[in-house]
Amino acid sequence: MSAPSSALRTGQDPYHLGHAPATGVPEYTGHGAGGPAPKRVVVGYGFWLFILTDVILFASFFAAYAVLVHARAGGPGPRDLFDLRTTEIETACLLLSSFTCGLASIAVARRSLLWTEVALAVTGLLGATFIGIEIHEFARLVAVGAGPDRSAFLSAFFTLVGCHGVHVTAGLLWLGTMMAQFRAKGFAQNIRHRYLCYSLFWHALDIIWIGIFSGVYIIGVLMQ
Amino acid sequence: MSSQYSDEDFDAGSRVGEDHVAGQLPHEPPAGGVRSELTGYAIGLVLAAALTAAAFFSPGSQAIYGPGIVMAVVVLGLAQVGVHLVFFLHMTTSPDNTNNVLALAFGLIIVSIVVFGTIWAMYHMNHNMI
Amino acid sequence: MTLLGKLSWQALPLTEPIPLYSGAAVGLILVAIIAWVAIRGYLPYIWREWITSVDHKRIGVMYCILAWVMLLRGFIDAMMMRAQQAVAYRAPGFLPPSHFDQVFSAHGTIMIFFVAMPFVIGLMNIIVPLQLGVRDVAFPTLNSVSFWLTCAGALLVNISLVVGEFARTGWLPYPPLSELAYSPGVGIDYYCWAIQISGIGTLMTGINFVTTILKMRAPGMQYTRMPVFCWTALASNLLILAAFPVLTGTLAMLLLDRYLGFHFFTNTAGGNSMIFMNLIWAWGHPEVYILVLPAFGIYSEVVSTFSSKPLFGYRSMVYATMAICLISFTVWLHHFFTMGAGADVNAFFGIMSMIIAIPTGVKIFNWLFTMFGGTVRFKTPMLWSIGFMLSFMVGGMTGVMLAIPPADFQLHNSVFLVAHFHNVIIAGVLFGIFAGYTYWFPKAFGFVLDETLGKWAFWLWNIGFWVAWGPGYITGLEGMTRRLQHYDVAEWHPWMVVAAVGVLIILCAVIVQIAQLVVSIRTRERRRDVTGDPWGGRNLEWATASPPPPFNFAVLPNVHDQEPYWDMKIYARETGHLATPEPDYQPIAVPRNTPTGFVTAFFAVLTGFSLIWHIWWLVMVGLVGAYVTFVVFAWRDHDEVMIPAEEVARLDRANRAARTAALQQGALA
Repeated sequence: MSAPSSALRTGQDPYHLGHAPATGVPEYTGHGAGGPAPKRVVVGYGFWLFILTDVILFASFFAAYAVLVHARAGGPGPRDLFDLRTTEIETACLLLSSFTCGLASIAVARRSLLWTEVALAVTGLLGATFIGIEIHEFARLVAVGAGPDRSAFLSAFFTLVGCHGVHVTAGLLWLGTMMAQFRAKGFAQNIRHRYLCYSLFWHALDIIWIGIFSGVYIIGVLMQ
Repeated sequence: MSSQYSDEDFDAGSRVGEDHVAGQLPHEPPAGGVRSELTGYAIGLVLAAALTAAAFFSPGSQAIYGPGIVMAVVVLGLAQVGVHLVFFLHMTTSPDNTNNVLALAFGLIIVSIVVFGTIWAMYHMNHNMI
Repeated sequence: MTLLGKLSWQALPLTEPIPLYSGAAVGLILVAIIAWVAIRGYLPYIWREWITSVDHKRIGVMYCILAWVMLLRGFIDAMMMRAQQAVAYRAPGFLPPSHFDQVFSAHGTIMIFFVAMPFVIGLMNIIVPLQLGVRDVAFPTLNSVSFWLTCAGALLVNISLVVGEFARTGWLPYPPLSELAYSPGVGIDYYCWAIQISGIGTLMTGINFVTTILKMRAPGMQYTRMPVFCWTALASNLLILAAFPVLTGTLAMLLLDRYLGFHFFTNTAGGNSMIFMNLIWAWGHPEVYILVLPAFGIYSEVVSTFSSKPLFGYRSMVYATMAICLISFTVWLHHFFTMGAGADVNAFFGIMSMIIAIPTGVKIFNWLFTMFGGTVRFKTPMLWSIGFMLSFMVGGMTGVMLAIPPADFQLHNSVFLVAHFHNVIIAGVLFGIFAGYTYWFPKAFGFVLDETLGKWAFWLWNIGFWVAWGPGYITGLEGMTRRLQHYDVAEWHPWMVVAAVGVLIILCAVIVQIAQLVVSIRTRERRRDVTGDPWGGRNLEWATASPPPPFNFAVLPNVHDQEPYWDMKIYARETGHLATPEPDYQPIAVPRNTPTGFVTAFFAVLTGFSLIWHIWWLVMVGLVGAYVTFVVFAWRDHDEVMIPAEEVARLDRANRAARTAALQQGALA
């Protein structure tokens, strides 16, 4: 039985499943038998699980929306209210911000403070633009009497899309904190792990937005 | 029964080398340099943008058979999710990633059960109420 | 808008004697305890070693203490209900309806969320890292936050006794009754915010344990070498991850209806109250499996240890556990068969509900086959397990009866249903908790509980439970509805009196359990567990001292097979020396204690209370405070403390000496 210490030194995950050994790791692993995984793997996996629970939360709002989409109480429906041009701009902002978040990941791996802060700032600006547009859209709906208290359909819409917006806002707050932490503490290991979690979060929000603009906006306008 | 063991067999200190809860190990940037990483993200961006544009474009256009547009939007959305997972979240089929893929599969199963179970049950309930 | 929102002196129960006096009594007891602690100078110790601890063993013990205290509160509610129903035959009883409604709502809420969940999570906290052969869970500080958030929820529910009122809707707040139009008071808000806050804590626990079990195990511990308790902990925590977001979402929708005038579940503007039922039970059914799966794991541990045999059918146990995990997500509609989904839908969910009994049956047979041919020692934990096997069988079978939609149309919301779920929760979950409590108490505290009093407690609980709930099956079949504040059917009255006698027997059982604890603490020197292995255990938690040192293992063990500690003992017996040689002691890093959990929970209580009473400026203070707490925690530079090698050596050598002495006397079972 050879020592698996080389596995842990290369930072590979001894907990991969399946019968093939992880890349570069001797036969000790393969069934999760190499000892506790490195911290980066543990932190990343834990946050990935959190992201999945967030997806399930959105699924419950989505289920309620799917049931209530036709409960309009005689009021306006998707075709009367949704402007797909606005949605396109919001989608572009969020998709680009996902890209710049990826650029920031590259900069963090290269330990470049300048490019990290620049990429994060652009990500933040794009995210803030998204929120601004969304708030504007919500205000417009309320002004024409299509607020969340008008009907069950609108309650469900505002909750589903609004929950996503609250998550993005929280993400912006986190982003600001991360930018400050990079400046104050440099590229310490726990800061980098925290940034890994942040980028997972931001990408996941974009994935959820795909579900929203496809399922709520586009299909809403199509199906009426 | 125990003769297969020896004095060094029960104590992992001699096996693991360094004894730690969760290793404080350096994480090297993936091999290939900045260019290959940038390319990965750029391809992801272009693909996602193309799929998104197609999804927004399809309702008004005549390009897709009318009753199939909803399914097309759904499929385009799933494709975009796939692009995000592969290019932005670096999900691979390597054995290192299997736990992550399994967790994702578990989440998707639960989401399907909750969403479709709700729609199915509520549709029947609403139907019987009217 | 006043400074204190809706809060005013009317919130105090000055005209209601029961909450007034009980609230005053509890307040006095709390003040007395805090004063005693402060005067004796224990406060710095408690702050340093317990409140700010991130050690999974300490956190687990605190969870169990919370659960025990809340069990007493919930049990008092139970006694009040039994007393009311025993006397309220053609009479008003002593609890007016508005009060009775709050009692049964609080009873259910407290028992599920603040007794069963914390107990089960507490036992998993103490034992799972030890069984996996590692030093702590994946995210120790998050663990502390989870515990304190659960406490915050429990605190809010208890505050509702004296400030305001509690929900009157039962333990699940069905709309439209729970909507603002029909429940304008603060009761539902207390319920919702308490559950939302503690729900976040529970979700964090789920993340913590799934990550720990899947990514942090001793070297050599493949999935097929994990103890069955860890498998059931994994299944239970996967269910927490899957189900709790649905609870959070559904209660959020109810809160939006109540606070911002949304129309999810209202009677007007297109709202649909059935969606609440559907989603809340999509959480609610997995919830009961979250409770029972770790109990099944405890039985696996106890039965194999006290039968002196390896667990029979390890692989089928694992498959059965994961099958229950998955199927439990496909049965939820059986909680509302009568709500009009129609025959097709009812048939699917009815069949799935019956199928889920099969893996449970597999487990029961495995436990029986474990006992068969073994040397069974009838210690208290084993009695709890055998009592479970007999009593839970009945509850499970009545569950299969209820799974048949036509039968359920007769039995839905009758006392038969209530008897069924008390049967499975008490005989399944609670007996398992007591078995685990008695089994693992020496590991956590270093001394064994009194055996005689333990046996008395078991018999009183077992008999008391059947005297209390046997009548429930009977009156349920006779047509008695649940939650009746009074009734006028003569046939039910004698059964209700019998049930009240049953609850008095259980009261004796609880008193005996308290006595057991007190007596055991007073005579603890006599009943010390010197080796760390008082029962002849088989898994790795028994390889540590009792209580284990902060770092659990001086050197992580190397695992070759299932029941690794048993292998080590066999080897030690055959060679005459301990299985592991004395290691070259190294300094060990352990996570640093932090008040983050406690402070976060403080702000959570503040935010919850001010949301309930509409004190909006205080809500902002609470949220900002919570955010600042995160940032302060995120800014710390040192997150670990090094335990010097000499300290590690001193602690480990003491245990090695005790074990070697026992081995040489032939006493290391």
